[in-house]
Amino acid sequence: MNPKLIAIIKREYLQQIRTKAFWISTFLIPSIGLGMVFLQVAMSKTLVAKGKIGVVDLSGRLYDGLVAEYNKPTKDSTEKEKQPRLTQEKQKPPLATRMEFFKIEATKESLPGLRKKLNDDVQKEQIKAYIVLDENILENGVAEWRAQSVKADLVLRETVANLLSRVATKERLKDRGVDPEIYEKARMRIEIDPHEAKEVETESSKNAGFNLAVSGVFFFLIYISIFVYGAFIMRGVLEEKNNRIVEVLVSSVKPVHLMLGKIIGIGFVGLTQYAVWGVLASFMSLPAFAAMMGMADGVPSIPFLTIAAFVVFFLLGYFLYAALYAAVAAPFNTEQEAQQFVMVPAMILILASTTWFFAFNTPNGAVAVTLSFFPLTSPLLMFMRISVQPPPFWQIGVSIVLLLLAIWGMAWLAGRIYRVGILMYGKKPTVPEIFRWIREAD
Amino acid sequence: MEAAISLSGVTKTFGKFTAVSSLELTVPKGLTFGLLGPNGAGKTTTIRMIMNITKPDSGSIRVLGQEMNEELQQRIGYLPEERGLYRKMKVVDQLLFLAEIKGVDRDTAMRRLGPWLDSMDLRPWINKKTEELSKGMQQKVQFLGTIVHDPEILILDEPFSGLDPINVILIKDFLSEFKKQGKTIVFSTHVMEYAEKLCDRIALLYRSKKLLDGTVREIKNLYRDRVPLPPPVEPEPELEKIFIKAVEESGLTAPSPEELR
Ligand SMILES: Nc1ncnc2c1ncn2[C@@H]1O[C@H](COP(=O)(O)OP(=O)(O)O)[C@@H](O)[C@H]1O
Ligand SMILES: [Mg+2]
Repeated sequence: MNPKLIAIIKREYLQQIRTKAFWISTFLIPSIGLGMVFLQVAMSKTLVAKGKIGVVDLSGRLYDGLVAEYNKPTKDSTEKEKQPRLTQEKQKPPLATRMEFFKIEATKESLPGLRKKLNDDVQKEQIKAYIVLDENILENGVAEWRAQSVKADLVLRETVANLLSRVATKERLKDRGVDPEIYEKARMRIEIDPHEAKEVETESSKNAGFNLAVSGVFFFLIYISIFVYGAFIMRGVLEEKNNRIVEVLVSSVKPVHLMLGKIIGIGFVGLTQYAVWGVLASFMSLPAFAAMMGMADGVPSIPFLTIAAFVVFFLLGYFLYAALYAAVAAPFNTEQEAQQFVMVPAMILILASTTWFFAFNTPNGAVAVTLSFFPLTSPLLMFMRISVQPPPFWQIGVSIVLLLLAIWGMAWLAGRIYRVGILMYGKKPTVPEIFRWIREAD
Repeated sequence: MEAAISLSGVTKTFGKFTAVSSLELTVPKGLTFGLLGPNGAGKTTTIRMIMNITKPDSGSIRVLGQEMNEELQQRIGYLPEERGLYRKMKVVDQLLFLAEIKGVDRDTAMRRLGPWLDSMDLRPWINKKTEELSKGMQQKVQFLGTIVHDPEILILDEPFSGLDPINVILIKDFLSEFKKQGKTIVFSTHVMEYAEKLCDRIALLYRSKKLLDGTVREIKNLYRDRVPLPPPVEPEPELEKIFIKAVEESGLTAPSPEELR
């Protein structure tokens, strides 16, 4: 390789890893990542169905059953031992509930007169909500729910609906001469235990939970590192411009080498950061930790394909966005000026990151497939698809080829903007001016 | 005499504005060449085109008979008008880096820098970050960065602008030293006085066009009858020389980093 390019890469690398920003991001990113995971877990634990709920039971068949059903000890605790291990893990822990039901004495005729007071109670938050169960509820299966908002309290509504469903089922069995206790005993839920349709299963299907978490973490890493290193590149370009060393540099090396050196140097900074994280993670024995959490059997290993896809798509995505950031920064003098233009690729990236669920749930759906070919989003989406359900190899190939083409085009474009842009001091150029540079720089 | 630099029919426009128009210019080897002209004349644009930093719209530019290439870049020392250094880098790292991108390995560069670091009193500062140095010190480092690869041709764009007086003298001395070694020097300035004292040949640019070109003597002869002569002046010591003398007589040595802190 060109020794001057090496000198540029070396300088960039050594300078960057001496900065505070590097070490801060090294420790901040995993903290944010872990923080988000813990927050999710913590939040799901605080999901409680609670509140005082008035019941107008015009059918006269459900209220007592509802209260009994609610106060009944959960049977899961007694039955758990008998269940096979796998289903045990998959079963959601019973939701904490703190509801209070009370009966509102009313008839069909008196109800309209009562509503004003009930609505008042709801609005003043004396009670959370009231439900009206009409005479035909056992036929039509609809209960009226009155609360401050029709949007909020999803969990609460769902919980009440479940309770009512069970009570109503028992009542309907009674009507048909069946003992509800039989229902209580016979009722069961079948869990799905997913396996791959292969003679010999791969490691990944055995540790689905763990692998899913790994894919998520890697997905997040690609996403956040493109952002962070893109910002590094932008700041580096502006720094060389602002301290006016750039013209000295381009009298010694080709502008394109200067740009490339910066991108590669910061790429190595990124790899260093990953190495630090790797060491940290093995220190904290993340896999063992995951195993203890009951997500997997034994100490699982990350499948090779996931790692390979991560490395490939991280690098390709990084190069594409790095060139983009270099091009966007070059014409400007301050980060604020450049920021408006950085918004565009940043928005695309953010948008791509929000579609992870499509790729995860339907890896071969139209949205996921399209986005896994589009170069600005494919580093994230193709990685996700590969790690969930490897698509046909030709699709991976096409995605990589398109990315390489996009990188080549972006580097070409960025090189031209960079070449002229780095010598532009003072005035902020307009978009037509930037296009003129692209045409003129030969 | 072989040309160190030659431009023929060089034109550069920025949009509708013409910065350099059909410029013909020859810089012979071994001479000191002054590119003169007021601000906006097109000096910087011309120099950037010689360095291949800006592409001309038309015309051809040759340096030592070649088009600009990487090998040629290593034989030129260039001090741009817009200049500066990495603020957070140590002085020594900075200089070695500048040498490296000119194709000089670190050992050679270090050996070459030694005497200069001493004569410029920079030695005690080499492990400091550049931003910790005074402006004058930084100017010295910048100049060292320009010559660390021992170039055959020096191209300096407004080398004296913004320099403190001691450094003006220092650089003038360096330039006459280079001239003695047979190196070619091109510098631009809008201060005629510097040109008159230092240059063998000059070219005058004005609003993108070359108005005059020749040796200082030729040009003076050409205009002898048309330009009023200055009144005869009593010879008196130059301020610059007085400054040097005053420093010498003070018996003080250059400040050390500890003193400057
Ligand atoms: N990149 C540029 N875009 C537009 N105009 C420019 C650019 N560079 C220089 N100019 C214009 O070209 C003219 C000549 O500039 P320059 O070569 O810097 O003059 P000098 O160095 O003699 O002061 C000036 O009017 C300047 O504004
Ligand atoms: Mg100028």
